[in-house]
Amino acid sequence: MSAVTDLLQQVVEGLGSGAVYASLALALVLIHRFTGIVNFAQGELAMLSTYVAWQLVASGMPFWLALPVTLAVSFAGGMLVERIVIRPVQGAPELTVVIVTVGLFIFVNALAGLIWSFTVKDFPRQFPDGGLDLAGVRVDWSTLGILGVVAVVMGLLYLLFQHTSSGLVMRAVACNPSSARLSGIRVGRVLMLGWGLAATVGAVSGVLVAPVLFLEPNMMGGVLIYAFAAATLGGFDSPVGAVVGGLIVGVAETLTGAYVDVIGADLKVGVPLMIILAVLLVRPQGLFGRAAVVRA
Amino acid sequence: MSEPTTGRTEPGASAEPDVPEVSGTTGRTEAGASAEPDFLKVSGLHAGYGRARVLQGLDFSVARGEVCAILGPNGAGKTTTLRALSGMAGGRGSVTLDGTELLGRSPEQAARLGVAHVPEGRGTFNDLTVEENLRIGAHLRTARRWRGRAERAAVTADLERIYGHFPRLRQRSRQAAGSLSGGEQQMLAIGRALIRRPALLLLDEPSLGLAPLVTRELFEIVRAVNEEERTTVVVVEQNARLALDIAHRAHVLEAGRLVLSGPAARIREDGHIAEVYLGVPAHARKAG
Ligand SMILES: Nc1ncnc2c1ncn2[C@@H]1O[C@H](COP(=O)(O)OP(=O)(O)O)[C@@H](O)[C@H]1O
Ligand SMILES: [Mg+2]
Repeated sequence: MSAVTDLLQQVVEGLGSGAVYASLALALVLIHRFTGIVNFAQGELAMLSTYVAWQLVASGMPFWLALPVTLAVSFAGGMLVERIVIRPVQGAPELTVVIVTVGLFIFVNALAGLIWSFTVKDFPRQFPDGGLDLAGVRVDWSTLGILGVVAVVMGLLYLLFQHTSSGLVMRAVACNPSSARLSGIRVGRVLMLGWGLAATVGAVSGVLVAPVLFLEPNMMGGVLIYAFAAATLGGFDSPVGAVVGGLIVGVAETLTGAYVDVIGADLKVGVPLMIILAVLLVRPQGLFGRAAVVRA
Repeated sequence: MSEPTTGRTEPGASAEPDVPEVSGTTGRTEAGASAEPDFLKVSGLHAGYGRARVLQGLDFSVARGEVCAILGPNGAGKTTTLRALSGMAGGRGSVTLDGTELLGRSPEQAARLGVAHVPEGRGTFNDLTVEENLRIGAHLRTARRWRGRAERAAVTADLERIYGHFPRLRQRSRQAAGSLSGGEQQMLAIGRALIRRPALLLLDEPSLGLAPLVTRELFEIVRAVNEEERTTVVVVEQNARLALDIAHRAHVLEAGRLVLSGPAARIREDGHIAEVYLGVPAHARKAG
């Protein structure tokens, strides 16, 4: 295998895991744009959704039926979290909100352990084994499938936000909630929808990554760190940035793992942290974000 | 020279019983004096922020189709008055619009009851285009019904109506609203309010930060809208002369109380009051 095909091989694999980071980053960015909140529990909510899917499949439902049911449950769950956990602290000091989402993280993690135990579960593979051979570079069906799913999610979000009146209302709320209120928009409901949407997008990332990582309550912990790196890199307010950031982080991860000997597989998790640090130092608003403006 | 009434009026009594109705020679006369003088009725309105009490019992009425100006120095409570009407500030007392109580409603409920508040700072949706801003304004007109073809046609007609009032917004319809000039953003804010044909339009210092020419244009549009669409307007201004030009009636607010009420034309022509609004402090006037 030549050096070039070897490099390309690493890039392809990086894109595959990057797509997973991208979808969780997308969920983080959605919440942040709507509410200004960084939701530390986003990964855990995704993990919970994944358990729902696993439970449905384990009780005999075909996967492709369990998936839409899971997404619907996640949507409702996200709305519920907004209403019960987040709404009471909306407008409280930032640190309070951070602590609440960290508390939610711990609670959901423990809850999943309580219900499903901490033993690893095998999650059904959604995509067939095998793949394509493109000039010596092997592209697994699962990699293509994951990239395809994330592209579809991205496309649907784009349609929702840019071409529907509900999407317009959601963007208005994200932009200026008090003015939205004066226009008669029920901002509370829209925020609930935003959390529901984010939980659904997050659920996609959990379901995509579960066959690779195996399902257990701490499955999303690592993914969350990569997703944070992706969202920071892309810009915490930019859905496009989240996806691009996710792909870059995924590729950076595999490349450093493969080529930088001191890092190797064990220290790979340092990569997203370095990316976060570097972005915050050099370009805090990220690649696609706007520089912070003071809102009047 | 007859003095306009000063001091508070009795709650429950009609707003300014002692002010004689004088038809102004150059100003506007009472609009719809025959019909619904209490379309908006504010009685004993107290409002504030937490422990800071700002409004100390306001009483006034606005007839349907009338433009009412609320004047007064900085900090008098003009903004707070509008906020109490639109649900942005809580209050005690009573505010009814066409007989429906507004106090205790959330801003979104007040909006659904027909109150359109153009706030201080204009409330622009910066990331949205000009046209999307207007569509958000029209949201209430479309939200309740199924968005069929007829509905889309109605929104298009509404947009045309607004662009008719504000041709400059049409030129910039695809531009991000955050990139507009202050005057254009004020036009957009008023357009966003008007597109839903509100029962009551509340304008908070529309002239703030705008060039005099732009302000004049804006006030002329408000006058035209009031005449053509019979929209009831409450406008709050520090620029008294401008507001009095388009208002039928005016009230002067000082330290949370109405100190003077009367037909706009009378107030405008009263040299003494003009003097007050040219900057003589309140205590000097009281002493005189
Ligand atoms: N959000 C607020 N919290 C506390 N006090 C406020 C707030 N907004 C205004 N005030 C106070 O209320 C009084 C009236 O303010 P305002 O209604 O904005 O006056 P105006 O619009 O006539 O300039 C002022 O003394 C102001 O300091
Ligand atoms: Mg004010």
